[in-house]
Amino acid sequence: MGSYLLRRILVAIPTLLLISVLVFAVIQLQPGGFLENLLEDPRVSRETIENIRRQYLLDQPVWVQYLHWLGGIVRGDFGYSFLNSRPVSELIWERMGWTVFLAALTILVTWVIAIPLGIYTALNRYGPTSTALNFVGYFGLATPDFLVALLLIFLVLQSGGTAVGGLFSPQYIDAPWSWARFQDMLAHLWIPLIVIGLDGTATIMRQMRANLLDVLSQDYIRTARAKGLAERVVLWKHAVRNAINPLISLAGLQLPTLISSTIIASIVLSLPTIGPFLYDSLLNKDQYVVMALLMLSAVLLMVGNLLADLLLAWVDPRIRYE
Amino acid sequence: MKRRFWLIAVVLLISGLGFAQPKVLPAYTSLGVTTGKAGGSLTLSLASAPQTFFYYGAIDSAIQNLANQMFDGLIEYNLANYQIEPALATRWTITDSRVYTFDLRRDVRWHDGRPFTADDVVFTYTQIVANPEARGGDAANFEGVKIEKLGDFRVRFTLPKPAPAFIHYMRLPIMPKHKLLPFSQEGGKPRAEINSAWPTNVNPEEVVGTGPFRLRSYTAGQQVTLVKNPNYWKRDAAGNPLPYLEQLQYLIITDSQARVAQFLAGNIGQINITGAEFPDLKRRETQGAPFRVVQFRALFGSPPHIGFNYNAKNAELANLFKNSDFRRALQFAVNRERIIEDVYNGLAERASYGVAPLSEWYYPEVARLQGRFDLNAANAALDRLGLRRGPDGIRRLPSGRPLEFTLTYGSNSAVFTAIATILQSDFQRVGVKVNLQGILAANLLGTGRGADWEAILLALGDQPDPELRTPIWKPGGALYYWHQATQPTTPTGQPQFNNFLPWEREIYDLWERAASTTNFTQRKALYDRWQAIAAREAQVIMIAKEYAVGAVSNRYGNYIYSLGVIPGFNPVPLMFQR
Repeated sequence: MGSYLLRRILVAIPTLLLISVLVFAVIQLQPGGFLENLLEDPRVSRETIENIRRQYLLDQPVWVQYLHWLGGIVRGDFGYSFLNSRPVSELIWERMGWTVFLAALTILVTWVIAIPLGIYTALNRYGPTSTALNFVGYFGLATPDFLVALLLIFLVLQSGGTAVGGLFSPQYIDAPWSWARFQDMLAHLWIPLIVIGLDGTATIMRQMRANLLDVLSQDYIRTARAKGLAERVVLWKHAVRNAINPLISLAGLQLPTLISSTIIASIVLSLPTIGPFLYDSLLNKDQYVVMALLMLSAVLLMVGNLLADLLLAWVDPRIRYE
Repeated sequence: MKRRFWLIAVVLLISGLGFAQPKVLPAYTSLGVTTGKAGGSLTLSLASAPQTFFYYGAIDSAIQNLANQMFDGLIEYNLANYQIEPALATRWTITDSRVYTFDLRRDVRWHDGRPFTADDVVFTYTQIVANPEARGGDAANFEGVKIEKLGDFRVRFTLPKPAPAFIHYMRLPIMPKHKLLPFSQEGGKPRAEINSAWPTNVNPEEVVGTGPFRLRSYTAGQQVTLVKNPNYWKRDAAGNPLPYLEQLQYLIITDSQARVAQFLAGNIGQINITGAEFPDLKRRETQGAPFRVVQFRALFGSPPHIGFNYNAKNAELANLFKNSDFRRALQFAVNRERIIEDVYNGLAERASYGVAPLSEWYYPEVARLQGRFDLNAANAALDRLGLRRGPDGIRRLPSGRPLEFTLTYGSNSAVFTAIATILQSDFQRVGVKVNLQGILAANLLGTGRGADWEAILLALGDQPDPELRTPIWKPGGALYYWHQATQPTTPTGQPQFNNFLPWEREIYDLWERAASTTNFTQRKALYDRWQAIAAREAQVIMIAKEYAVGAVSNRYGNYIYSLGVIPGFNPVPLMFQR
């Protein structure tokens, strides 16, 4: 197991290098840039731009810039945000807390809700509850998250509520933690959880249902039943454990969505996460921020995959990495 | 001995009172202002997170908004009539529009208790505003300006040549020398270093101004909190200290619909809205919602216009666009009344060039010269240009190619999108095919200043004095984007006069004369003439000027509309919580 882990990590290094080249190339290929945008303001002179360019080595050949950037990353320096005149890592770090919290909570809630529902709809295929749940599932898949957000905001407003965005009411944003603040957060939190989680819940529920139906029609399930095993044991020990396997690999892919998938929903809901920050940086062509976030996204994808593989080995006794 | 001590004490006290110079605001009864009560807090919104807390470190609307509350300029505008009034300067003399001498307000203190003096003013203008590397500075307008300290409370600006509108630049926020010296050239740093002052993670205690509120905290991506400056130098008409409010909170909300939702939920006390959002909010107000929707005619704000690229890459189109007859013909097909009615819900009026209809500089004949919506007149004028219709109803260029061009507009603005669509359908009716190209509104000016466009829907801001908009409206100016062949080939060079159209030369001369004329009546006559020519030639086609519309919760009194980002216009200190 240890050697497997080491091997995976070693393989990750060239992959990340390749990704870093791609990320860098994509940013270089875009027309214009932050500094060109600056020129739009009549107060900024060509000379100023040239000075900033020199300051950040942007006047050097592309490969020098790349090596400089890469060297920085190795030392933990992700460059400098033109927009904010501050190091990129600080800016990302400021927003990391809420981002991770929201994403982890959403993933958790998604799984806790979706798996039982998937099992339920598989076992009661034609019942009215299943039909209703399937409808909600399709609705969740088909509706863009920002639209769900706007609908929920509208509903809250119609019912006289005040929690229509953000994670806290204004008076609690800077307040120290207290029971009232926690309650205020819960009153706000359900909207982003539904908005960000609905799509994932629907996907996992449908997947779980399909997998379980697949497994339930297998020969070994019939055999188990023929042996006279209790239905409970057949279902939970034989069917569900096998049906859940493919979903674990799916979970690994969810990690990078921490950053990218919730941009629009976060803007509509004014969430203090990385999404709106990335959006802003993209619009303003704040290149070091964008590159850092893209790299982070790639790292998260690889870490997620690795974790999923390890989890798979732990759940499924047939899988062993030597 | 004891008696003498008391005498001295009394004399000192009296002279001290004499030196303390609070500014008593006018009563503003015409704006419905009453005496407020102290205390309470107001929550406002910012459309983006601040990039810095240093006003001159970035061109950023969030810090411009905040700086209005944290800092003061030497002068400011009267909230009712936009006349220039004393702020950090108590009085000034202007000699030949060239030498400006300011007496500064005494006994003003920075938020940290240090006294404000002429050193701060000289530092702000020499080390920051005139610093070409300061990203939010204004070096171009201060080139060659000599700035001297004539005493602890007196400064003098000596200009290389007369500039009657220069006084308007004196509303830029004054910064504390004792805090910013270490970032300046005077403090031994490279000039660009000034931009790194007061980043968003700065200790709020460091950010000191003289303004009505001071920075208390910033929670990344969520909110900025300001608290009252108890020693502020303004008083209301009854002599009570200002500001009334104890605290200002700014929530960072990017999405405009989310802002409206937060306002409806009561989490935000006041928002600026657009004509498009007006009907819904007004309906709620009349149904008894606890807020008021108020409209004002504003001096500031940016009316959209259609610019044609006189130097379009397609030579045939460029020839047409350069031809005033063609632009006038198309102007007949611009249905301003419909746009005002449908797009702005009636909350707009006809616009002039560079100055608002409310402004003293506005030339009322502009509306007549622009003409009315008249498709027959448009068709006749296009026929006269020899642009015959083809079998598909689209007119043909001399080369036989159909007359079509691309109109670039800001697709993330509901207003621009609606206007572009109306223009497209009306132009189609006179046989001109328009292809719409939507880009981000923030990139419009950048695109316009490039070469890759044919027609564009763009909005440039109005100012209280036309001279402040010289780069836009004076042919050859840096923002005279629709005829780039007039612009100088080097940044400091002369315009390319050989590429001027005759009427552009006329406008250029008018602006030259106006810039060195100090008499108001004469300047007004020159700028009237300019507006008349611009309208007659349809230099660009101005569309409409939106009214300023704001909504305010009934919990607050003394609300006066403010764009928020205009230095020198700040009604917030008068607002109070009921």
